[in-house]
Amino acid sequence: MAQPSVYRSPGFDFSNQIRNNFLSEKGLPLPNATSTGTTIVGCLFKDGIVLGADTRATEGDIVADKNCEKIHYITESIRCCGAGTAADTEFTTALISSNMELHTLSSGRKPRVVTAMTMLKQMLFRYQGHIGAALVLGGVDATGPQLFTIHPHGSTDKLPYVTMGSGSLAAMAVFESGWRANMERQDALDLVFNAISAGIFNDLGSGSNVDACIITADNTEMLRNINLQVDRSNVRPPKEREYKFRRGTTAWTKEDVRKLIVEEDITTLSSTTGAGDEMDTS
Amino acid sequence: METSFALTGKGYVIVAADTTSARSIVKMKNDEDKIKTVSPHLLMSYSGEPGDTVQFAEYIERNLRLYQIRNLYPLRPSAAASWIRRSLAESLRSRSPYSVNLLVGGYDTSTHEPKLYWIDYLGTVSEVPFAAHGYGSYFVLSLLDRYHDPEAPLEEGLATLKRCIQEVSKRLIVSPEKYKVKVVDKDGVREVEL
Amino acid sequence: MSIMDHNGGSVIAMVGKDCVAIASDLRLGNQALGISSNFQRVFGITDRIYLGLPGLATDVNTLRERFRFRVNMYTIKEEREIEPEAFAHLVSSTLYEHRFGPYFIEPVIAGLSKTPTGGIRPFIAATDLIGCINFAKDFVVSGTASSKLFGVAEGLWEPDLEPEDLFETISQTLLNAVDRDAFSGWGAVVHVITKDKVITRKLKARMD
Repeated sequence: MAQPSVYRSPGFDFSNQIRNNFLSEKGLPLPNATSTGTTIVGCLFKDGIVLGADTRATEGDIVADKNCEKIHYITESIRCCGAGTAADTEFTTALISSNMELHTLSSGRKPRVVTAMTMLKQMLFRYQGHIGAALVLGGVDATGPQLFTIHPHGSTDKLPYVTMGSGSLAAMAVFESGWRANMERQDALDLVFNAISAGIFNDLGSGSNVDACIITADNTEMLRNINLQVDRSNVRPPKEREYKFRRGTTAWTKEDVRKLIVEEDITTLSSTTGAGDEMDTS
Repeated sequence: METSFALTGKGYVIVAADTTSARSIVKMKNDEDKIKTVSPHLLMSYSGEPGDTVQFAEYIERNLRLYQIRNLYPLRPSAAASWIRRSLAESLRSRSPYSVNLLVGGYDTSTHEPKLYWIDYLGTVSEVPFAAHGYGSYFVLSLLDRYHDPEAPLEEGLATLKRCIQEVSKRLIVSPEKYKVKVVDKDGVREVEL
Repeated sequence: MSIMDHNGGSVIAMVGKDCVAIASDLRLGNQALGISSNFQRVFGITDRIYLGLPGLATDVNTLRERFRFRVNMYTIKEEREIEPEAFAHLVSSTLYEHRFGPYFIEPVIAGLSKTPTGGIRPFIAATDLIGCINFAKDFVVSGTASSKLFGVAEGLWEPDLEPEDLFETISQTLLNAVDRDAFSGWGAVVHVITKDKVITRKLKARMD
């Protein structure tokens, strides 16, 4: 693709589609992208919202990332958990976060959760489910605490406690039995912790650690890997022996060493020494 | 079945391709030249979808010629291979892609080195000491692994090529009867009779 | 068999003590038929950033051209070299641009980034074929032997390896993993990037 211009139009580039269809017609199946077979949750409490997520990213039956971050930044007081195709959740939340910032700047008001929700659902609906992002959006704005789920096709729900992803059933079971209206902060966090843990231990697509985010009217607290403070039994212990190879184990045939510049000495040429010319400023 | 192969040696590249032109199960012709001289020191053998092959080879030939007319010097083999690859990769993204496999052999008059590039219809390019396309490649590549010598003089190179042709004739069920062989070295391109 | 396996090939990157290493095999295949045992799929982007592109070979060539173009544009506009973090995002957004109709490449990035205090910090990352970045602190793998590389690396990697020890660990990880993969192998190359030099070694490998 000879680029006629340095500047490329924004948005998706479909130039490979014809080729890829041609290749898949030849009987070569298209590979699948990293997906976050996930447990993500959110629930309302007395002063705000608690969001929770596990930290496993999978590629088929392989755990691609053991400690990824699934609670994405939208604005200071709005966060969004993502499940589904990992790249899609990453890029849609980044795009909406950017647009929310611009919206805040142009309107001069604190951003609202419904605004982010509407932006997200309109974008996902436009792409008819091809952008595989399943989201839990939560935050606190002028109208109080707000919690939404957004499905890949663009439908939304507004509920006091929500779960999404492959571990949603396990997590919802915990919420259904444990959630009460006007819960205390610590009780809500414990409930979210238990819901995510239910996903981690009962759903194969979810695993590793628990991330949480507590959003109240005047503060947002991002808590990473909170399970490790309670229980480290699931953490891999340090190796008792080392598996270092003796230097020289690997035979090689050719070596090329490229020296890099580490320090540069800059010598300034001043006119007093007569070495350089001063710029003519007359 | 269509077969082409090429090998480098001391200051030269030999490119060989069968001469059959087939439609379905019928042999239409057996003196087809499937190796084009695309610039003074560059050879290109082509195989693949009938029609696409000649069309694409002529497109490449004319464009490389145009480059030489405009700039008064031809593209070097590596640059030519790179441009040919790009043309194929772009074609693959169009509604009617060219289905052509190529071997590009040339002599770099600046560095005085023989160069050989294996290119397939997907736009894959790789610089190699020897290469083959078609069903013959399954026999020839292993043979060349054993007998190829990048420092061999032309006579030895041609002898190795004869081994390749013999092997294909002996083991491939529908083997080509005749080959056209061309050599490129510092003096340019010439055809050789085996 | 997937398109990703058509040409074969694997890449791995590991973090060491003030150094990183990236290694790949050298095979170019056409399904099961080996074409070349000297196919470059790891490229220097800047002095301190290397990029591995395992996957469909035509896209290795195309993306190599594309990234060179975009990094050159970045260098001209910013009047400075690109940092590994920024480069990882450049790779990611280039791939996500092709979300519908992707390139069949799962890149691996290894480099040393500068810290505000003037020191250096090892950086590695990998992305999937549509650009979801995986920032790892230990190692990243990709390609047809990725499942084997995951297992071997998980067993052999340990923190704070010196450059020469890291070379042994990454080499043994790669060599042993690709020996269990039919589509990878046919030689290997390792780059160890340290503060003051980049060591590139071609390994003696099984050629089967």
